[in-house]
Amino acid sequence: MPALEPVEAWRVVAAPAALDSARWSGDVVDVLRIAPDEALGIGATGVTVDDPDGIVEPEAGFVVALLGPDQLAAVAAHVDWPMPAEHGTLAQGKIGGVPSKALVGEPSLVVTNAAYADELARRLGW
Amino acid sequence: MTDAVDRPSAGRIAVDGRPIAFVEGDSVAVAVVRSGEVPGRGGALCLAGDCGNCLAIVDRIAYVRTCQVGARPGMVVERHPAQGKPALPSTDLRDLTRVPIGQDIPVRRAHAEVAVIGGARSGRQAAEGRNAVMLDAAGGMEVVGIYPGPAIVAREPGGMLHLEADDIVVATGSADIQPVCPGSDLAGIVTARAAERLVAAGIDLGRVVRVGRELIRFEGDGSGRVIAVVTRADDGAQATTPCDTVVVDLGRAPRDVLARMARSEAVSAVGSAAIDHPLPPSPTEGIVCPCMGTTVDDLEAAWAKGYTELELLKRASWAGLGPCQGGACLPHVRAFIADRTGGPPPDPFTARPAVRQITLAEAAADTTIDAFRRTPLHDEHLALGARMDRFGGWWRPWHYGDVVGEYWAVREGVSIGDVSTLGKVIVSGPDVVEALERIYPCHVADIKVGRSRYALLLNERGHVMDDGMILRDGETRFTLTFTSGGAANAEMWIRDWIDTWDLRVHVMDRTMSLAAINVTGPFAKELLGRLGLSDPPRFLGHVRTEIAGVPCHVMRLSFTGEAAFELHHSIDGSVALWRALMEHGRDLGIRAHGLQALFGLRLEKGHVIVGMDTELDTTPRRLGMDWAVRMEKPSFIGRAALARTAGIEDERRWVGFAMDGEAPPEGSPIWDVAGDEIIGNVTGSWTSPLLGQALMLGWQRRGRFDDRVAIDGREAVVKPTPFYDPEGLRARA
Repeated sequence: MPALEPVEAWRVVAAPAALDSARWSGDVVDVLRIAPDEALGIGATGVTVDDPDGIVEPEAGFVVALLGPDQLAAVAAHVDWPMPAEHGTLAQGKIGGVPSKALVGEPSLVVTNAAYADELARRLGW
Repeated sequence: MTDAVDRPSAGRIAVDGRPIAFVEGDSVAVAVVRSGEVPGRGGALCLAGDCGNCLAIVDRIAYVRTCQVGARPGMVVERHPAQGKPALPSTDLRDLTRVPIGQDIPVRRAHAEVAVIGGARSGRQAAEGRNAVMLDAAGGMEVVGIYPGPAIVAREPGGMLHLEADDIVVATGSADIQPVCPGSDLAGIVTARAAERLVAAGIDLGRVVRVGRELIRFEGDGSGRVIAVVTRADDGAQATTPCDTVVVDLGRAPRDVLARMARSEAVSAVGSAAIDHPLPPSPTEGIVCPCMGTTVDDLEAAWAKGYTELELLKRASWAGLGPCQGGACLPHVRAFIADRTGGPPPDPFTARPAVRQITLAEAAADTTIDAFRRTPLHDEHLALGARMDRFGGWWRPWHYGDVVGEYWAVREGVSIGDVSTLGKVIVSGPDVVEALERIYPCHVADIKVGRSRYALLLNERGHVMDDGMILRDGETRFTLTFTSGGAANAEMWIRDWIDTWDLRVHVMDRTMSLAAINVTGPFAKELLGRLGLSDPPRFLGHVRTEIAGVPCHVMRLSFTGEAAFELHHSIDGSVALWRALMEHGRDLGIRAHGLQALFGLRLEKGHVIVGMDTELDTTPRRLGMDWAVRMEKPSFIGRAALARTAGIEDERRWVGFAMDGEAPPEGSPIWDVAGDEIIGNVTGSWTSPLLGQALMLGWQRRGRFDDRVAIDGREAVVKPTPFYDPEGLRARA
């Protein structure tokens, strides 16, 4: 059964061009481009961005579940938007009515705010 | 009508408590007819799902078209009551407070390039050569409605289907036109195609008379069954023909109700569903709309009142408002209008989902209620015996079992409260001061680094949207706080304006990344000193330091009226910080306080809670908060509106009230002192343990700005706020 776990992460809001060239530290970092000017580096231990006014903060507010293809397919039954098939694609929307993100890959990631973790797990039957 | 063939029984169903045998392939309606009865309360049966004359309660589900449901052994069928609507299923109201656990109905979501509704010839032709999904009722795909998208909601074996389609083709064919004349509500009348179905099912219709447009009326016996039909010959002569069954053939009408509910070019009708079939003669007497009981006289009365347009006539007469949505009456109502106007018949009226009965469980399948967030201290609250409640989108502790004790801990000792739910936004950039000066009605540029200011957030009309603090972290960086319930809206608001003005400002929402604990009370400073805060900020100051080893942004402010420090910190340090505060404050009598105590504490201080005390058109002046608005600023959102209305007297004001006894419920009306007229309402109410009175905040209407009012049947006096520590000495201590 998948489980939503806290992760080490860093979050950046900066000029899009600066975000494109941001340098993330960490062994395995999954960078979620949440918005043109915002990124969440899951697994990151730090980040450098060339924007003097960029907001760079350590982030403990998200939880992540790692999913295999079958588990992602089960999650897809709880969304009313098409789950992308292409690896590396980030989808953002509600899963089971809970604001969440999904990064498709091997494994895929389901990400939500820690404040929603219990509710999302309950709704997905995890 | 009875069974003509000795076919083997496939089982029995119960109809109004009586067992009825059915044979393989029978619908419920056919099974009932086979037994010599009718499934509804009379009226012509179409047996094609077009009319409402066979509706019944099947296995506790009302409004089921029994002609569309196959009979199964053990099925329980109850006829709808002769008068009125079927009763709602009895529900234990206590169940409404719980998460539904009843039926878990799966929903299959799919997308199709083309969805074809109807599996007959026109449907097959429409699907030919296209990547189409066929939805055929005969195959168990019962379409309930077409929604914007366009999207189809259908009942399929085992669950519901939500199908989005680029194109939807309605190929549902045509319906037999129902008779409208005296006696049309008798049992024993069937349409032409229904008769064919019954004969094919081996049912003996007895003495059959076929009638068309020569029909004048049906005649019945005392039991409600037809015994004769009266017709008019071409020469005008009337004839009465005894019979057991009348087969009515008045032509066809398009079965296009699904097409009529879709206002999208992506939805079209084909085949017989798209043909403008000839209308029947204008009705002269009898029931036009069997679902609603609308008669020709009702149509005449509505017409006489001026409701001469089809949609208006529908609403005025109720014809077409029933379950079949005009399946029976629409051709007749159109003919009625065409006859009176002398022009072409009007276009058919619109339709709406659902075209088939749908249970709440089916409608709600795979939909969810709003998710309420939990702070990282949720389990700590539960461990302390908190009663949790939903507030502002979060689960929050309402109290810990002793509201007054929690209150006194704040007033006389030290207390901690979970304020993690507050909105928290970082803004940074070279234009940030310019942006905040435009957004907020207070000055921003003069806030020094390490200082903060209370601020209202106004919309363009000068109405209060939210409030919070502006904290300066650096020359070009600020932290903004907002109310728990208003945070998301406030964040969008400032983002939108910064984008609109094209200012160089970055925005990061930290609401769910940071938790916050409010440490408040006369001993708050001492407690924090024990945990590492050696140099506490003065009132409205803020510093970043470690408290009990947890990095915190410490904000000195007060909502309770006592000295207070908000400790904003990363959520992964919350539990450790909370426990350290409880542990080191034990000898100070520390206890946690919930929302109920907090609301009482703030009420004594006269602090507003935006969204609870305010209304959609509340201005700072009505709140007595002009001091938070600096009209000398050249511009800010809402300034023009406030300037324009500055000379207009307020029609109501938000003030304090006090009276003896227990506090009345929030929302209580405020009467003039004579009790003749309601002049306002209570927005906050609290029995003050300290002052020994009921204290209230509320709205009072202009013209009745009396000093004395009546609330909850008692006399109350208007009192200036704050009720407690008006000089603010304790908050600054």
